[in-house]
Order: sequence, then structure tokens, then C-alpha cells
Amino acid sequence: MPENPQSIIALAPNITELIYTLGEEHRLAGVAQQSDYPVAAKSLPTIGAYIHPDIEKIVALKPDLCIAINDGNPRDIITRLESLGIPVYVINPLDLDGIMRSLLEIGKLLGAGRKAELAADGMRARIERVRLFAARTTSRPKVLFQIGNNPLVSVGSGTFAHELIIAAGGENISSGSAAYPRLTREQVLVLQPDVIIITSMTKGENFDRARTEWNQWPSLPAVSNGRVYVVDSDLFDRPSVRLVDALELLVRIIHPELFHTD
Amino acid sequence: MRIASLVSRIFLVCTPLALILVIAAVLGLFLGTTYQSIADVLSAIVTKGRVDSTLATIVWRIRMPRVVLAILTGASLSLGGLVLQALLRNPLAEPYILGISGGSAVGAIAGMLLGFSQLQGVAFFSFAGSMAALLLILAITSGGMVMKKDSLILAGVMVNAFCGSIIIFLISLTQDRRVLNILFWLMGDLSMSSQTQVMVLAVLLIPCTVIIFLFAQPMNLLLMGEEMAGNMGLNVRRTSLVLLMTSSLMVSLTVCCTGLLGFVGLVTPHLLRLLLGPDHRVLVPACIFGGGAYLVFCDLLARILPAQGEMPVGVITAMIGAPLFMFLLWRSKR
Repeated sequence: MPENPQSIIALAPNITELIYTLGEEHRLAGVAQQSDYPVAAKSLPTIGAYIHPDIEKIVALKPDLCIAINDGNPRDIITRLESLGIPVYVINPLDLDGIMRSLLEIGKLLGAGRKAELAADGMRARIERVRLFAARTTSRPKVLFQIGNNPLVSVGSGTFAHELIIAAGGENISSGSAAYPRLTREQVLVLQPDVIIITSMTKGENFDRARTEWNQWPSLPAVSNGRVYVVDSDLFDRPSVRLVDALELLVRIIHPELFHTD
Repeated sequence: MRIASLVSRIFLVCTPLALILVIAAVLGLFLGTTYQSIADVLSAIVTKGRVDSTLATIVWRIRMPRVVLAILTGASLSLGGLVLQALLRNPLAEPYILGISGGSAVGAIAGMLLGFSQLQGVAFFSFAGSMAALLLILAITSGGMVMKKDSLILAGVMVNAFCGSIIIFLISLTQDRRVLNILFWLMGDLSMSSQTQVMVLAVLLIPCTVIIFLFAQPMNLLLMGEEMAGNMGLNVRRTSLVLLMTSSLMVSLTVCCTGLLGFVGLVTPHLLRLLLGPDHRVLVPACIFGGGAYLVFCDLLARILPAQGEMPVGVITAMIGAPLFMFLLWRSKR
């Protein structure tokens, strides 16, 4: 790995976000497609989708370091880049702790160790604050976290969304070993969720329709209490610092009773 | 037909095709997803990268293996289609018909789910899968003096269908982003090419093309029907086996590197047959040059047409090939 990389390529949008968090975006030579946060990242040269990066575009930008993510980037791209003499560092954040660890690892690579520690400490403090809030009550509302409409897909253990639901003081009704289990409406009716959260994977229209579809089932506590919400999928799906924003949003959705004084 | 006139006919057909192939290959080296001027690329080639090593890397280690892979794949798939259309005497025959698409896909997906990367494990599993499917089909349908072509086709369709269901099952099990890698493999992808890989592939494939060329006249005889061919002194069973195994080997080798590139193997033999007639001694070299050139062109378009990223090559081969074929078919009927 190079000492002081000046020409970095972020092979996934979340890596772009992490580098901006560290304030080291001046080192970025290129980013994966869909690197849309912060807005400034949109003007950087792109090297293709993270699931199918364009090796010619990467090489043409003459990087001295590429940062890849284990779950997402194809392994072959990493081996080919290394065989062409371009060092690749692979992060593997599987949970909130993993994201903080990735932040520290990237910080060390970029000579921004101190900034990384500050950022990670900040994340940890905000997460702790949410956990303390959630600990004030013993109620654990049942949450259906919906990421797909036809078929109805939810999240299981091992996903970021599941970890956030638990940390925000909720109970994930589809917490099984399958990461993205498919549910039938019948199963949801039996499980009786108190809160339904729908992510806008394809922004806008589609998921407002999903919300109105739930209104046909007033026997669900979530529907009769008007607790069906649509949230931005990018906030919940990318292993970046914004997951903590997602967590803070979740605790307000799941435990509004703790915030009525704010 | 006299040897001299045959040779001159082959030469007349292959020279323009070879020229087209060379033009396609050169364009494939000069054009890509990043833009450089012609002068820059020329100087990178001439100075062997001493002045601009990045451009030399792009041309020689990224674009060149990809162009060579396209040539080898286009040639193999076209030859595979040609051989199977002759052997099975069925115009719908294409190189994957005898279980190769199903078997190779199941193998490749299994390799991916087990965590192997394309160039090492997945290619091996894919090759093993397609060979296993082929041997299964041969084992079931063999027996007797000749190979029953209808049994072969049916067995192939059944194996492909069964494998298809396994593929869908495996995809449904895949919870993470590897499902997208699987999709790319199933659509066909020439981007996973390296210098060593194409060299090994060329060494294995060139003898196979020679074998098929040597069996070109027997293929002509087979078209007359197995009984007639046998009466003319052809050992039909041995010919069929050699052709089948050689072409399947070629197709399996390319599929394990590129995934399932559809349409090329079906349409190129038909296109060339419409233009050049049914003599396999001319069609075999024509398929090699023509098939190779066609895929190089289609891959080039797939790389440079989209503003972002690249299109699957299979989309271009079908979008260009199908109308072209319909046009030639219409013209030939008048």
C-alpha cells in the first residue's frame, strides 16, 4: 500500500462517502457510479457500476490506490488491478462496528488517522445515545421493514437494517437467518406489525403505492395507528456514516413517545 | 471439385473476411471506453509504452486480450453452430443445444456461490458442468450404429430445461449482491479477459478448428443423410463423434471464459450460408473469420455506444444479427 496516496479510486459509493467524511476527497481521482453523496461527489469522473467496474476507465485515471468493498465488487476486478500493478485495499463492513473499523482503516491509509478516530468516536457516541434512549422503555414495537413490494421482501438478521431496528429499540418481525426473506401478506397479517417502514429503492411513486396498499388491511396495528412510513433507501443500505442518521430517524419512528417533549 | 479451384474459392471468400477481421481488431485496439487520439495510441504501440505506459497497458493488457477473446469466442460459437446444424440436420441447432448452456451455467453459478473468482474456480466449474451434461446426453442416447439425432436434440433440451430450474433455484438462494455477478455471467461478458487466459485458449482452440476443417467434406456428406453418407464410405458414427466432441469442447472452453453469449452461434452460420452457399469446406474458414469479426464489432459497439458503462454484448449481436438475417433471407427468396 502506498505511503501517501494522491490518486485514489473509490470502487463503491459508500467508500466515496467515507472518504468525504474524512475530509480527504481531494485525493479522489475517480468514483463508482451512483456516488451521489455528498452532492460534490457527482462531479467526479466515474468508473462504472460497483458491481461491474470498467477496468479501462480505472487504469486511464492512473490511480495509486483503489479501495474496494468485499460485498459488492467482483473479486476478479481486484485480482486484475493488482496484476496490473495497482494496489487495492478491500474493506468489509458487515455491521456498525465494521463501518467504524473501515473508517479507521481508510483513515490510516490516507494519513488521516486522527480525523478517522474523531469520526468513529462521533459515530459511537450517537449510537450510544440512541441505545440509551431506547433503554428508557421496555416496549419493543414489532417492525416490518419492507424493501420490496411485489414480491414483498423484508430484512433478516445479518443486514444493516436489522441491526438498526434492534438498536433503535424495535423488534424485527422477519428476523430469521435469511437475509432478505420473502413474506406473504398472510404472514404479515399473522405477525401484526406495529410499525411498517418502506424503503424507496426505486424512488417515489412505487412505494407511495405500497403505503396505500397497506391501507387495505386496517386490522394491522401499524395501519390503524397510521404508522406506515417511507424512508430513503440510500440512507439504510450504504455502509457509511449516514447509517447513524438512519438510526436516529428509526428511533424517532419506532419510539415517538420518547420524543414528544422535543 | 478440383483442388485448385476449391483452394481459390476458399481464398476468395476468406481474404475479404480476414480483412474485415483485421479492421475490426484494429478498431478494437484504438477505441474503448476511454478516449485517446489515434496518434497517441499509435505512439504507445510504436514506442512500446516507453513514453505513455498507461496507454500501453490499456491497449495491450486490457483491449487486446478482449479483442482476441472476442475473435476466439466468435469463431468457436460460429463453428459450433455450423457443426451442430450439419450433424443434427436442423437449422435451429445452436452450440448450446446439447446441454452446454445448462451444464456450464450450473457449474459457473456453483463456483461463484462457493466463493471462487471467475478466472480461477468459476471457469473450471463451468467447463466441468458443460462436459458433464454432454457426456450424460451421449451416454443416454448412444448405442447402435448411428447417433439418433432426434434423441440427441430431445435429450439436450431436457438437460437444459432441468439445469434451468436448478439455476433459478440457485439464484433464489443467493441473498447478496453475487446475484448480479451471476446475471452478468448469464448474459455473456467479454470483460474478464487476460493475456494468459487468451493465450491458453488460443493454444487449445486452434487445433480444434483444424480438426473441424479436416472434417468439412464429411459434413457435406452428412447433409445428404446418414444412409447416403455411409454408402459413400463415410464412417458416420466416428465422424459424428469427433465433430460433436471437438465442437462441444471448443464451445465449452469459450463459455467458461465469457458466459453464455447467445445468438452468435445460431445466426452466423446461417448468414454465411446464405451468402456463400452450403459447402462446408468454404463455410468452416468463413465461420472462423466471419464469426470472429462479427463478435469483435459487436463487442466494440457494446463498449462505446453507451454513455455510461457497457451494454451486454448479447444485446448487440441479436439487435444487428436478426434484422440482417431477415433481410438476407428475404432477398434470397426473390
